[in-house]
Amino acid sequence: MNTLKFLFAIWKTNLQSAMEYRASFLTQVIGMMVNNFIYFAIWIIFFERFKDVRGWGVNDMYVTFGILASAFGIVSLFFGNAFMLSDVINKGRLDYYLSMPKPVLLHTVSSRMISSGMGDFAYGFVSYALSGYFTWDGLARFLLAMLLAATVFAAFLILTQSLAFWFGMMSNFSNLVLNAMLTFGIYPITLFDNYAKLILFTIIPAALMGAVPAEFIRAFTWQTLGQLLLGAFGFLTLAILLFRAGLRRYESGSAIQTEV
Amino acid sequence: MTSIIVHNLQKVFQTKRKAAGLSGSMRSLFKPEYSTVEAVRKISFQMETGELLGFIGPNGAGKSTTIKMLTGILHPSGGEASVLGFVPWKDRQKLAFQIGTVFGQRPQLWYHLPAMDTFTLFGKIYELDDSETKKRIDFLAEAFEIRDLLDVPVRKLSLGQRMRCEVAASLLHRPKLLLLDEPSIGLDVVAKQHIRDAIRRMNQEEGVGVLLTSHDAGDLEALCKRVIIVNHGQIVYEDKVSNLKRKFLTTKLVEVRYAKQVAKDFSVKGAKILKVGRYGVKLQFDSAQTPVDSVITRLSEMGDIMDITISDPPLEEVIAKIYEQVREGKQELT
Repeated sequence: MNTLKFLFAIWKTNLQSAMEYRASFLTQVIGMMVNNFIYFAIWIIFFERFKDVRGWGVNDMYVTFGILASAFGIVSLFFGNAFMLSDVINKGRLDYYLSMPKPVLLHTVSSRMISSGMGDFAYGFVSYALSGYFTWDGLARFLLAMLLAATVFAAFLILTQSLAFWFGMMSNFSNLVLNAMLTFGIYPITLFDNYAKLILFTIIPAALMGAVPAEFIRAFTWQTLGQLLLGAFGFLTLAILLFRAGLRRYESGSAIQTEV
Repeated sequence: MTSIIVHNLQKVFQTKRKAAGLSGSMRSLFKPEYSTVEAVRKISFQMETGELLGFIGPNGAGKSTTIKMLTGILHPSGGEASVLGFVPWKDRQKLAFQIGTVFGQRPQLWYHLPAMDTFTLFGKIYELDDSETKKRIDFLAEAFEIRDLLDVPVRKLSLGQRMRCEVAASLLHRPKLLLLDEPSIGLDVVAKQHIRDAIRRMNQEEGVGVLLTSHDAGDLEALCKRVIIVNHGQIVYEDKVSNLKRKFLTTKLVEVRYAKQVAKDFSVKGAKILKVGRYGVKLQFDSAQTPVDSVITRLSEMGDIMDITISDPPLEEVIAKIYEQVREGKQELT
């Protein structure tokens, strides 16, 4: 209960901080929605030409892109520091979180809000509504799948960025695999053979952020729910264990830091 | 009652070494070389409950590393420590409820928001009731004279105002022990005095113990009863501040700037002239033998003073004196 209160207080402070600069806040939110619309227009043009890619049509793409955008948005909004964890570790900025009486990983990742995430989050719902698959029980599945996909995504970010404890600056590597995750997440899963699928469920778990949740939203099956739950809790556990192991190697630093 | 017990505490860092230039970078890419830096070398000390203890030394002496181990931020490479009965790196969260920390170069106030928002957030982090948080903010606002600053975005505060807010924020949850790492770094004389007064008041009124690191001997003189001096990761001196002052902080440095040119035969009885410029003079005197006010009076008789600075000798000089006395057998290295 105290942890929830603490999280709400942090998120409220993040929102206050983001809204200090009204113009920047609004342009980021609206800009990201426009950016997503423009990006998705390419897929619409593609599917107008080819109609179907191994059983996937534009409606499936609407759902897949929608869930991916909303999951990305949730992580950006509520756990924005997960994108910058490597930098936080390298510049010794974990000192601040370690001197506070709260779980250090949760406190660190929740202490930044990326305003553009609000645009991604909202865009995901619009994309789902336009997909032609919209039903009320589908919406309930969309919400659950979004949370589980966001968990996988946040855990994946923490895993890659925590390598900074061992290898120093990892933000470029993390951006590289993050882009791979988002790119493969939006591709129709039917394009890939079994070996590629294995990679997309494990090393770069893009399938757990795009194709599997999309399938779960279109129609409930225990198999897809099981895959999502196992993926979310498995990756989260791994991320927490790796971060904890890394924390023992933390060397702090003398760079000047500011809480924003 | 003892609040801090440290025994043979040690911290070793692995540091990558690289020769200068592109060829050095290429070699380092394929065959990186590392060296070991012993930042803290098996130090042992104790601190009593409610004590004002100065932990001072020059830059790179190991002060901050020690504080970071005592707050649980860093895991030590060896040795033991107990802070308020907790092993810091094992019971970090429990300990954090009992201590307050201020890192001079690591602000904890949210930069874009007024300090009041950080205070409110800290109330939640330290699990205080809203009414308790409000009462405590009222008290600290008065004690640190920051009432008018609380609604101003932190980015608009001066460094001195911000540091007062920083120290006040660290006391929100009524800690038993305050660990201050260079709280006066970069502050002017007035701002330093404000911070020192407020810390002294919290020590007297609430019995908060204070472990203060600084490379400014003035902090030590103004606040602490006992001092530990560290250099190269080792404790080189541990004694009462009064003894340290008597033995090593006997001289003062004075820099004066005059409105008109300085007389060629400039002299002050009891003071050694270090440097004479056209408009300014730098001199040194033994404050135990020559009272400060007599030097100031004499300096003001020499012309219209535009600016004057009185300071302690740098800590490096104090440490050099300690080593000198060790060599001469007058003092034992701790």
